[in-house]
Amino acid sequence: MRKRVELIEKIEGEAEVSYTYEGDRTVDAQIRFLSGRGIESILTGRPPLDALAITPRVCGICGHAHLIATVRALEACYPELRISPKAEAVRELTLTLELLQNHFKWLYLTIWPLLFPRESVTMKAVEPSRIAAEAIALLAGQYPHNSYAIPGGIVGEITPLERLGVADRLERLWEIFRREIADVQMQAFLRCDRIEELQRKEGDFPRILREILDRGWERLGCSHDRFIAFGSNGLFVSGKSLATRITHSLDLRHLREEPVEGSLALHVLYRGKVYETGPLARAMLRKTPLIREAHRRWGDSLPTRIMARVCEIPHLLQYAMQLTRDLDMDAPAWIDPGPLPAQAQGTGIVEAARGSLIHTVEVREGKIAEYRIVTPTQWNLGSGPADRPGVAQKALIGLHRDDQAELIFKSFDVCSVCTTH
Amino acid sequence: MDRRDALAKMFSAKGVRVDTNRGEAYYKRLRETMERRLSELRNAPAATKMDIHKVLEAEGLSRRDFMKWASAITAMLMLPAPFTPLVAEAAELMNRVPVIWIELQDCAGNSEAILRSDAPTIDELILETIDLEFNETLMAAAGHQAESHLDEAMETFKGKYLCVVEGSVPVGAGKEWCTIGAKGETFEEHLQRVAGSAAAVVAVGTCATFGGVPAAAPNPTGAVGVQDIVKGKPIINIPACPANPANITGTILHFVLTGQIPELDHLNRPKFAFGYRIHDNCERRAHFDAGEFVEEWGDEGAQNNWCLYKMGCKGPMTFNNCSIVRYNSGTNWPIGAGHGCIGCSEPQFWDKYAQERPMADTEFKAPTGGVEKSVDQFGLGLLTAAGIGIAVHAAISATAGKKDEE
Ligand code: SF4
Repeated sequence: MRKRVELIEKIEGEAEVSYTYEGDRTVDAQIRFLSGRGIESILTGRPPLDALAITPRVCGICGHAHLIATVRALEACYPELRISPKAEAVRELTLTLELLQNHFKWLYLTIWPLLFPRESVTMKAVEPSRIAAEAIALLAGQYPHNSYAIPGGIVGEITPLERLGVADRLERLWEIFRREIADVQMQAFLRCDRIEELQRKEGDFPRILREILDRGWERLGCSHDRFIAFGSNGLFVSGKSLATRITHSLDLRHLREEPVEGSLALHVLYRGKVYETGPLARAMLRKTPLIREAHRRWGDSLPTRIMARVCEIPHLLQYAMQLTRDLDMDAPAWIDPGPLPAQAQGTGIVEAARGSLIHTVEVREGKIAEYRIVTPTQWNLGSGPADRPGVAQKALIGLHRDDQAELIFKSFDVCSVCTTH
Repeated sequence: MDRRDALAKMFSAKGVRVDTNRGEAYYKRLRETMERRLSELRNAPAATKMDIHKVLEAEGLSRRDFMKWASAITAMLMLPAPFTPLVAEAAELMNRVPVIWIELQDCAGNSEAILRSDAPTIDELILETIDLEFNETLMAAAGHQAESHLDEAMETFKGKYLCVVEGSVPVGAGKEWCTIGAKGETFEEHLQRVAGSAAAVVAVGTCATFGGVPAAAPNPTGAVGVQDIVKGKPIINIPACPANPANITGTILHFVLTGQIPELDHLNRPKFAFGYRIHDNCERRAHFDAGEFVEEWGDEGAQNNWCLYKMGCKGPMTFNNCSIVRYNSGTNWPIGAGHGCIGCSEPQFWDKYAQERPMADTEFKAPTGGVEKSVDQFGLGLLTAAGIGIAVHAAISATAGKKDEE
């Protein structure tokens, strides 16, 4: 039996995978996260609203999702609370923009270099991510790390000029998608279920797909075929599924976190089972035609997973465009929710770029008594014992080439700073 | 100290004032230093083959765009306009100065901010021409490969490279738990090793400078800043959460231009960036002066962009140039979106300032020693008697102005 330890470098922190081989095939892969900051214990004992400035700083990559999760958790502490449709829409908008910029960056900084190492495409990641960040900054002040959302709504007014600025940037993001990723028509693409059609188009994504198929890797990276998404909004639906069999009811009481020996990240289970979260799970639950077709052909494999994330971009863009168009400018930005109850518990759920993010706050005597954060990477890269492997672990078993393993691992997208928090 | 004096002191705290005109002799000397340095660099071998103009050309940016950017940076570095060609040349020679970027205990937010830094040209500058020898977030190479690349870069550029550090250093109980790199070094060992052979160390972001959010009470990992660990090296602190990319670029450019570190304040922050008080350059300042405050979110004041002091703005306690440079290519900044400043470039902001409460409601004292309380009363006073308030303020401005001329 041979062992090999691979350090997954610092795309957003550091993780370590140690592979065990039998012959030339992996039989186990243990994933460890080696550093953490103890954010949950930092939050304990603080006035609840202070979490608004602390949690975005859990992560520089998806910190906005943390802010929204915190706001929602705090709002859930009120027996009854109303926020205006405008505030809700603006929060959705900034959140969606964060997903967008993460997707572009992941494609060009993480996936592309593994398939085409000799072609530098950094600028293709930088341009859209700058534009998306500018749009967030217009509404929220700056990106990363802002605190513009508060229980009851958002702090500032949105002017028509800012709305125009956002609309313009969404158009530019769509132009970049068409110019670089796939030259498709939006409406036709959203309905499209024919992979061949997409494969024939100009653009980097069809090229990636052809490359994976040419290498004969279309069945690699299959995992448990179990999906979960806790968040729902105008675009996503919550629920879980085993392959295509969907159940919509979820109960957070079945969520359990388990320590992993030698790692600072906790493994997370729903009713004792591991689930994949993220773009593929969301696509399966909302039955995106193209992704369902890819899943039918290749299962929950590498190309399906990559396709799910890339093809979420047009859906997100359309959603964001619609939110911007329909923004009720006359609605109030903030509705006074009154003081936060001194004893309460609340949960905030957000669909972040990599999947479901859950914050739970427990308030006692006006202070945070307990704060719990469950991140998407805990689902996807959680590490179980060899006989009960996590999602990425299972996908890594049975491989016999290192380059395949790295690509499959990164197709889940590690965010270790979030994971250990 | 009576209240007026205290206020005057607060609004004109010396030491941190920006001195923008230092006389001809000073600039003449500076110009000579820079010219000498640039000619040395011109003759030095390039650390990378990237040519800035090729990069710009490839991105469809003209010489004019480049010069426009250079003149903005010149102003930011507090240099007179005739220095623009020198700054432009320094940018062209940036590939002669190697930069090694390491990430410790952080959230990757600063690299994140840099990825979408300033004006269209800067991304290219940072990513392609500056020789980012080893940025752990940007580098696509895998762990072991990256590690040997780091060793090689450190050896080749020994004593010449700038070591840029993002993230704090955990030194508390269980620090051996946090390791980095293929060698399994602790963060402290890693930092000591890379900083050891650097020409200077640039701590980027509030985590690297002062410990940041990881150091927030009860500081579970015993996080501290780079300056608490690295001794005997010039250290430049560029705090803020995230640090403004413009200030990072500015600092690196200054190093390229002069071979020296820029003038620093008492917290080792470059004065060109941290010599400004948020409050003094805030677009809402007129409302502060007029006693017009947002009293609750969504009220008339919030709709009309009034002062956020009573909603917990820490602008009066915070030194940084965000109100001038702004974030995300100058798109906006927190106060622009209607949220008060949380003082993220100040030591211990994570415990003192990062909340919605105005200072008077917290158990902390402002660094100016209790003046804060009177400012607060001052604010309240204004509200009930705006007229008197304005008069008081006018008097203060006059005093502050005089101090400036001394
Ligand atoms: S918003 Fe803040 S920084 Fe601006 S004037 Fe008011 S107190 Fe000063």
